[in-house]
Amino acid sequence: MFPALLLVAVFLLAPLGLILRFSLDVYDPSTLMKGVFALDNYVKLLKDDFYTGVLIFTAQIAAMSTAICLVLGYPVAYFISRSPSEKLRSILIILTVLPLLMGNAVRSAAWMVVMGSNGMINGLLLALGVISEPIKILYTPTAVVVGLVSVLMPFAIITLQSVLDSIPVSLEEAGRSLGYSPLRTMVAVVMPLSIPGIVAAGAICFCLAMNAYATPVLIGGPSVHMMGPLVFQQISKVGNWPFGSALAWVLMTVTLVMTIVSATYLNRKYF
Amino acid sequence: MMKRRQFIGAGAALAAVGMVSGRAFAQNKQIVISNWGGDWNDRTVKFIEAPLLESKGWKIVRDLNTAPQRRTKLVAEKNLPRGSLDVAHLSISDAVYVHNNGAIANIDFKKMPNASDLVPEITTPFFLPWLYSTWEIVYNPAHVKTAPTSLAELWNPAYAGRVGVTNQHYQDYIQMASLLATGKLHDFEAAKKKLLELKRINKPRVYESHQQIAAGFKAGEIWIACNYRARALQFQHDGIPVEVAFPQEGAALQTFGAVLPKKASNKEGAYVYMNALLDPKGLAELCQANFYSPASNKVELPGELGKKISHTPAQRKKLIPPDFDWLSKHDAAQLEWWNKEFV
Repeated sequence: MFPALLLVAVFLLAPLGLILRFSLDVYDPSTLMKGVFALDNYVKLLKDDFYTGVLIFTAQIAAMSTAICLVLGYPVAYFISRSPSEKLRSILIILTVLPLLMGNAVRSAAWMVVMGSNGMINGLLLALGVISEPIKILYTPTAVVVGLVSVLMPFAIITLQSVLDSIPVSLEEAGRSLGYSPLRTMVAVVMPLSIPGIVAAGAICFCLAMNAYATPVLIGGPSVHMMGPLVFQQISKVGNWPFGSALAWVLMTVTLVMTIVSATYLNRKYF
Repeated sequence: MMKRRQFIGAGAALAAVGMVSGRAFAQNKQIVISNWGGDWNDRTVKFIEAPLLESKGWKIVRDLNTAPQRRTKLVAEKNLPRGSLDVAHLSISDAVYVHNNGAIANIDFKKMPNASDLVPEITTPFFLPWLYSTWEIVYNPAHVKTAPTSLAELWNPAYAGRVGVTNQHYQDYIQMASLLATGKLHDFEAAKKKLLELKRINKPRVYESHQQIAAGFKAGEIWIACNYRARALQFQHDGIPVEVAFPQEGAALQTFGAVLPKKASNKEGAYVYMNALLDPKGLAELCQANFYSPASNKVELPGELGKKISHTPAQRKKLIPPDFDWLSKHDAAQLEWWNKEFV
């Protein structure tokens, strides 16, 4: 226990502390940063419509992707959890996890092939005569949501499935024996009991989506601004470590606060 | 008769001498370099490092990474007693950055016989120029029927929705707009106005990088853009239907080369390495593979490809070296404006 805590303290908290310190410095093009204690970077970030807009947009994209993952992932997780054969269950779990064995960038590149001007979707629509010239699918917020959902879905399904596994089937049978329809049994019995799983899956998806880098860059393109690429741009492209650090801290704080608030609200409402 | 303790002591001393001399030997014949990965490194190995250095007993240790990582490493190591790199490959803009941060030493060009005939416009005391290219007009001749002569062609309303821009080259586009508006590369205010005009008239498509704009040309999404001549020739080589035109306003230079870290462990090895980079035969073969112009006037590129890569005497008079010190100081502001207003 103690060595693990020590490792976390040294390799997670210490760099975070360092980044926090950098965020209070002031950028200087010739020396990278001037060692002062100033809130200039945070003031700039919060006063500038562009940066607050990017933060809000990132949260919207992350929330939408999370909601879609939960809505689409829940039935799949339930199906896996209640599958009659152990063999089928194992195959379904492997199929769910399989995309995670590929890199995020590789999966995003595959979506580029599907959604590009000469991609599969445009090719199909052109062949069917639905459109006369390729439509813009790639490099749009919708494309980013599609890409993020594909990346996050396995996390949602596996998290939900593990919680659904812990809900005894006998409770559903009890509901049915009292005259509940399958749908009402699901809504009144299974779903309330699976709230911890929904909260956990939602938190994982939301955190990953808020901090996404490869998907917004590759599928969103330069016009779709999200926080992850913005942090990278400031630190790696222009060497503005103080402002990049402030962006990173605001991103982390907003993600944490939103996750904790929503999880607390859901837990209080249902328990 | 030697006592047991004396024997052990003598043995340890001998072993220590052996280790020290072994390390010294390894250091003398070992050069640690940092470079980009991918094709760039593959070609450096194929045409320079393997035939000219490794075949002669030099051991090249490669630290492959991105330019920002290399830049950061050089700056971070400047106060250490000994740095980890002997030579770092960089663009001139990154070299200016690390130079301003006091991380690299001036180069003694006299120590390198192959450096006797470098292109003067791109040579600075702290940077060994190696390859260069120029920012020019790239177009699809099927749609742009007359070869463009001016950068103003990108503002031609006939190409509305068909102009391509690469996000990673924001500074090159800002320089280009400034050059068109004022005849100079570094009037940011004039460039802003000109680029917003381009946005209003032609609604350019913004791509992230070289690969994406190449795909845009291939798919027919765009007909005209700007890029380095070397990249345009690479696109042609890859079967993408583009031609390249030198703008009458002149063309900004982008140069790649090597720097000598202040705390390099093997400076003599570094000079051997940098001299090899400029080997006329190796450099000529490399340039024919990556389409960049050689920074040494000793290098002659043969045939039709050589003509395409090389600049004519008239063009050479219009090569414009950017003020990288100025660019470095305004980089953050330019990127911020680009993100907020243009993209």
